[in-house]
Amino acid sequence: MLITELKSKAIIKAQLVGNVFVLVCHGCKEIHFPEQEADALIAELKDSGIVTGTLVTDYICNVENLKLRLQKQPAIENADTILVLSCGVGVQTVAEMFPAKRVCAGCDTYALPGFQGVTPLPHNCAQCGECFLNLTGGICPLTACSKGLVNGQCGGAKNGKCEVDPDMECGWERIQKRLEKIGRLDALKCPVQVRNYATDEQA
Amino acid sequence: MENYTKYALKNADELNALLEGKDNLFVVSCNKCYKAFDTTNEPESEEFLKLAEGLGKTVVGTAKADFLCNQWKAQNGLKHMIPENAEHVIVISCGLGVQTAAATLDVPVYTATNSINYTGHHGMALTKKACDACAQCYLTMTGGICPVVDCSKSLLNGQCGGAKDGKCEVCADKDCAWEKIQQRLAQQGRLQELTAQAVQVRDYSKVNFKVINEYVKAIREKRLEGWYGGVHPVEGKEPTEHKGLVRFPAPKIAVFPLSMHLGAPANPIVAVGDHVDIGQKLGEAAGFISAPIHSSISGKVIAIEERPHATRGTCLSVVVENDFKDTVHSSVQPNKALEELTAGEIIEIVKNAGIVGMGGAGFPAYVKLNPGKPIDAVLVNACECEPMLTADHRVLLEFADDIIFGLLAEMKTVNAPKGIIVIEENKPDAIALLREKTASIEGIEILEVATQYPQGGEKMLIKRALGRSVPSGGLPADVGACVSNVSTVKAIADAIKTGMPLVERVTTVTGKYIPNPMNFIVRIGTPASELVEACGGISAEDVLIKAGGPMMGFPQTTLDTPIMKGSNGIIAIDNDETEPAECIKCGRCVDVCPMELKPLHYFKLVGAQDWQGCKDMKIMDCMECRCCEYICSSKLPLVTMIKMGKNGVRGLK
Repeated sequence: MLITELKSKAIIKAQLVGNVFVLVCHGCKEIHFPEQEADALIAELKDSGIVTGTLVTDYICNVENLKLRLQKQPAIENADTILVLSCGVGVQTVAEMFPAKRVCAGCDTYALPGFQGVTPLPHNCAQCGECFLNLTGGICPLTACSKGLVNGQCGGAKNGKCEVDPDMECGWERIQKRLEKIGRLDALKCPVQVRNYATDEQA
Repeated sequence: MENYTKYALKNADELNALLEGKDNLFVVSCNKCYKAFDTTNEPESEEFLKLAEGLGKTVVGTAKADFLCNQWKAQNGLKHMIPENAEHVIVISCGLGVQTAAATLDVPVYTATNSINYTGHHGMALTKKACDACAQCYLTMTGGICPVVDCSKSLLNGQCGGAKDGKCEVCADKDCAWEKIQQRLAQQGRLQELTAQAVQVRDYSKVNFKVINEYVKAIREKRLEGWYGGVHPVEGKEPTEHKGLVRFPAPKIAVFPLSMHLGAPANPIVAVGDHVDIGQKLGEAAGFISAPIHSSISGKVIAIEERPHATRGTCLSVVVENDFKDTVHSSVQPNKALEELTAGEIIEIVKNAGIVGMGGAGFPAYVKLNPGKPIDAVLVNACECEPMLTADHRVLLEFADDIIFGLLAEMKTVNAPKGIIVIEENKPDAIALLREKTASIEGIEILEVATQYPQGGEKMLIKRALGRSVPSGGLPADVGACVSNVSTVKAIADAIKTGMPLVERVTTVTGKYIPNPMNFIVRIGTPASELVEACGGISAEDVLIKAGGPMMGFPQTTLDTPIMKGSNGIIAIDNDETEPAECIKCGRCVDVCPMELKPLHYFKLVGAQDWQGCKDMKIMDCMECRCCEYICSSKLPLVTMIKMGKNGVRGLK
């Protein structure tokens, strides 16, 4: 689950060549999709007479179902450009299905905290592959601290707020308070932690 | 299918060190997500328990969770799971589950696992493709091959020069992304575009976590306004929401199914050849949960036979040929003024008028008005959360006075001091009108609620309006509420004022393939085909026709069915044919189920005919709103499976 925003109309329009088929994915709409903006853009493109077909559907990352659905959309075969309004995974899926066609991404994709969970979360996981949560009372130092520090405060926080973002609570102050509350402050008397960046795709 | 499992057990040394000096453990393990749903017994839990046993630790309890990261469920479930003698909670989950548990529990929480690292974010259909969510999509210029994810160095301006034989110098197994991009663009004759473009500089400030975090916070709060879950399908109400009601001409032949309600079908009390008048009883209620059927036209009974029925195939029906004289039956007489009627008299009027829930369920209305329990609030369900339909919306606008009258009658009947008309925010004209009309009426309130499906579900409505939860298997009366659909309330008003039983209703005919969509006041028994014809017919082949809306409507193979008491719409939409894929435990169904169930398990349990398992997971609480099926990324026929599961549970002794 990712969230998308429409690119500017000027950028999108500059990319369109010839006949355009518009493919819109509502799969992750419950979390976010610029539905109204997308509808307005499509209406505008239709008015300019370049659109030969549209399909509003969901989960275009599912190739098998996308194929089934496109069987009923012969216009896509004759389109010069396929404009895809979806996350980057959807655009790549369509581009692979139509390698000879110009496939345009109409959206920019943003990550969502807790993207791998079932619902948008206040927590985030950096998938670092060497979970530090046992030392920090269950508050992630990589995502709750702007600097991703793993050995305590940087010293820059003022009144409990982060120096990078004054609206953000200092992650390490939160960790300290949490550990104090559950009587585990001594957990921090551990050796210096060094991050191992080589845990990628260890599965 | 790719396996995007999010966690793996930490190594034994680390776990030994973690458990040193700790005892009385409670172990919570999260069933993995984003992988084929093949088991609910993940091996990590067993492995950990074995290790703990080997170290002589006491495990005071274990629990399994689905989607531990679901904060709402963790708050409601996890807290009660942990026994008092648990000193330490060990969580086997990804970092999100651990953080959620740690934020929820007062006991120290530890993790026995590491989250597994992947490059980029996968989609909802577990393919190899990933997106880095860089917020400045480059795919247009690179022929749809991502330079950020597919190039080890995430280069944006072409090859580094290190590739050998098309393979990356960082990882010899990996194809050089820029060679793939070059080939793709050469195939499309677009190489010139690439070389002509300005140097790209990645703007890392575009990913503004502050904005995203604010957004996420807002969306979370909104999603939990009043009740858990729900979805926002495309509304599609624009074609008919501003179209005034048109009275549809009486049909030549009207068909009255003897079952247009929940419960026992009515018993016919007329014979072929009989003359009938408008409002004359054709069928008598056949029990406590049943309702009589009345004629909506005058004429001759020409058949009593099985006829096509919109929701149950065929049904014994009384067929009447119109004499177009529109003579009204002598039994149709106005009643006393509302002030003079007793509760018992109103119940009798509603019962004899054959009024049933007109939102679709068809529950006899008189039963609701006679709950045998104290009721303090009558809710009028005017949400019309079902997409595309605008029948209730038009009734609100054009029969506001009748609705208020009907509500006052219901309040009097159940002796409730309060009446609340609940309207979704997408009907501002109706909200304004009803507010104006009820401003000086004591006890009646207009409540504006979010447009969210299924806001109009009885239990959701009660939770949103009154903050009360109807218990599992219970009825609104159990929490002091009585809920009626807006058209039902109008029918009650009609029955009291004019004595006319339920013989007409408002129906929306709409959809992409209806050339001229309309809202009709139509006599019950009118063939659906006549309404569709009047709207210009169906403009394409291979179209999905539903009786009702897109979410809860019933697919139709024929339009040769009559409009019934619960027929709020006929729609003709795209026939979206898909193939079910394997469940990938994406958790969307759990996220949207307003009854807070776990639909993904039903699919598995019904497949295994494990009816007891279905029952244990509260399958009977499902109201078949179809949110889970709508959101399912694998397109599983969840509601069909759930219906089978319910039948299985009913068969259990």
